[in-house]
Amino acid sequence: MLMLKNILAFSVIIVFSLQINAQENVPNVDLRTIGGKSLKSIDILNNEGFSIISFWATWCIPCINELDAINDLYDSWNEKYNIKVVAVSTDDARSKKRVRPMVSGKNWAFDVYVDTNQEFKRSLNVSGIPHTIVVYGSKIIHRRIGYTPGEEKDLLNIISKYNQ
Amino acid sequence: MIIFRKSVSIFVLLIIFTESYSQKKSNFYGSFESTGIYYQENEVDNYNEEFASNNYLNLKYIFNSNWSFEAQIESYSPIRLQGYSDSFEKTHLSTLSINYKKNGFGFTFGSIYEQFGTGLSLRTWEDRELGINNSILGMRSTYENDRVTIKFVGGWQKKGRQISVGKVLGLDSEFTLLDSDETYQNLIIGLSYVGRFENLAFPDIFPPVGYEFNDLTNLFSGRVDYAKNDFYFAYEQIYKTEDGIAQFGLILNDFVKKGSAHTMNIGIAKSGFGFDFTFRRLENMGFYGDRFEQGELYGESTINYLPALTKQHDYLLTNINIYESQPYVSFPDPSLMKAGEIGFQMDLYYDIEEGTFFGGKYGTSLSLNLSSWNNLDGKYSYNPLDYETNFLGFGQKYFSEQSLELRKKWSDNFSNIFLFLNKYYNKRYVAEKFGEINSQVLVVDNTIKLKNKKSLRLEVQHLFNKDDMKNWYGFGVEYNFNYNFSGYYNTIVNYQNTDDGKPRYYSFGASYSKNSSRFSVSYGKQRGGLLCYGGICRYVPEFKGLSFSINTSF
Repeated sequence: MLMLKNILAFSVIIVFSLQINAQENVPNVDLRTIGGKSLKSIDILNNEGFSIISFWATWCIPCINELDAINDLYDSWNEKYNIKVVAVSTDDARSKKRVRPMVSGKNWAFDVYVDTNQEFKRSLNVSGIPHTIVVYGSKIIHRRIGYTPGEEKDLLNIISKYNQ
Repeated sequence: MIIFRKSVSIFVLLIIFTESYSQKKSNFYGSFESTGIYYQENEVDNYNEEFASNNYLNLKYIFNSNWSFEAQIESYSPIRLQGYSDSFEKTHLSTLSINYKKNGFGFTFGSIYEQFGTGLSLRTWEDRELGINNSILGMRSTYENDRVTIKFVGGWQKKGRQISVGKVLGLDSEFTLLDSDETYQNLIIGLSYVGRFENLAFPDIFPPVGYEFNDLTNLFSGRVDYAKNDFYFAYEQIYKTEDGIAQFGLILNDFVKKGSAHTMNIGIAKSGFGFDFTFRRLENMGFYGDRFEQGELYGESTINYLPALTKQHDYLLTNINIYESQPYVSFPDPSLMKAGEIGFQMDLYYDIEEGTFFGGKYGTSLSLNLSSWNNLDGKYSYNPLDYETNFLGFGQKYFSEQSLELRKKWSDNFSNIFLFLNKYYNKRYVAEKFGEINSQVLVVDNTIKLKNKKSLRLEVQHLFNKDDMKNWYGFGVEYNFNYNFSGYYNTIVNYQNTDDGKPRYYSFGASYSKNSSRFSVSYGKQRGGLLCYGGICRYVPEFKGLSFSINTSF
């Protein structure tokens, strides 16, 4: 159990000492549209306003719950603030082919991109999904792991506070 | 632990140095992940009453937008979690790379993560859940513009703390021939080459013993992707040159075969409707940094990515008897001879509009998935070892599944998911054990939003199975106290399996998330079996114990 204590203490020190050096900007790496076109991660963001980057996959139930919930609110969000939602699929070759028909089938109103070998995910140090990042221009202002029902409303609160 | 602390101290000093030297265009960041389990009881004796943990610290540094550096330190203290390869041990530096990018040119030295096309010929990636990190230790150079991408990769594959004996060399090119935003039409073609050089001769023995097949095994690949408006199509073909096949840890000079892969995908994606169909045929496509890795438990130095093309499920009972892809040649006995797989998968998505009879006030989402996979049909011989396949022949069925999922939102605060699936699993052919299994699973997953950021999720499941271990039931409760703090309990019971005393598995725990950090703790008895992510699986023995995990990005 001494080892467990050591690891826990060590982890806590790392977590808190390094939080002060939080990643500031979205890195510029390659992504693809669901149609297969190559583009840069910087180009998918809203240059003049807020972007919400949501890492998801076709097999991840909480991710789809979150994106369905965001989709329901997307129009009203855009009326209030200039927000661009970008859903980045981390599906690899196994399920990548399911992305485009699923997005169409679900009628999601926002843009969806694919990060097949997870270069973008890796560059942002995302280990588990859902993982949501709120960005202003290309500056990261908030990030969170996981999704609980209703949490999408909190994203708007964060944007609203930042906007003040 | 000392090395681990020293390494981290160096990085922390570097951060302080960087911050004091601060330039706006430089950036230091990373992530930390730790999973520990105290094994109270275990199927594997040496883990009984033992504590084990896997820890990963990843650090990245971007300088001047052209340079980037990455390092990852891993620590398996005092021992790795069970079910991971023996090659994961102690504290060590597992990833180190230097990248430079300018004017379309890019260079990487060190650990390389790369994928050609869909990964059918080459994919190196990291999956900590599965214990996979097959990065290439070597160099990569790339060039890209709007129309052309060219990549060159060369080096050795990572195998735990070591590297593969064989060397890997790859060249990938991709050309965009048509790219029109007006008609939404694009055409991309790609050509790849991947070679693995491994000299298996034993020169110390006199007279020297060698193999008659070539040390260099080649993979030549061509692919095409076409999309116009709502329609899309993709095809990829791979030809693999003759290679020795490892069986029971032996490679024989008279069992040397070529390999091939064909995959075709076609789909329609319209507003509210999506359809996708994939056909794939794989023959002798196992391809490793070391030939003898084939058939090994962890397959660590796999060069290409050949996942099972079936729907990936997220519920406990749907993950019993999972299909693993069968791209290899495997001849365990005269009644069981396999040379690959052939089959298809189909998906259909449909959104029933709001305001219609079936759509209701909030609409209904429907998704249907069908898949079926078989052995390659042909002539098989055990003595001498040989086979000859028919190109479009479907042999013994391995697996088939039909699943239907309905997502229905009833009000602003109540929604549910219904899932029904029917599955055939040929345990003899897929897992090389005995029996065939027909089963059905029904899942109802309900989410209720309560006041003050609270919510409740209730999930019930049943598995109907006349064969093998008979019926199971399961249920789960998850209560979210707010957006940060959650608790859960779930259980599955094999209630008709009287032979094994009606096994019951359970887990309860709590998690706390704040910004980009998550802490969780749980206690329970976990079912042994295949743990699968992205179509690749790892066997996890049954255990009872206390687990914790810490995960943060900074």
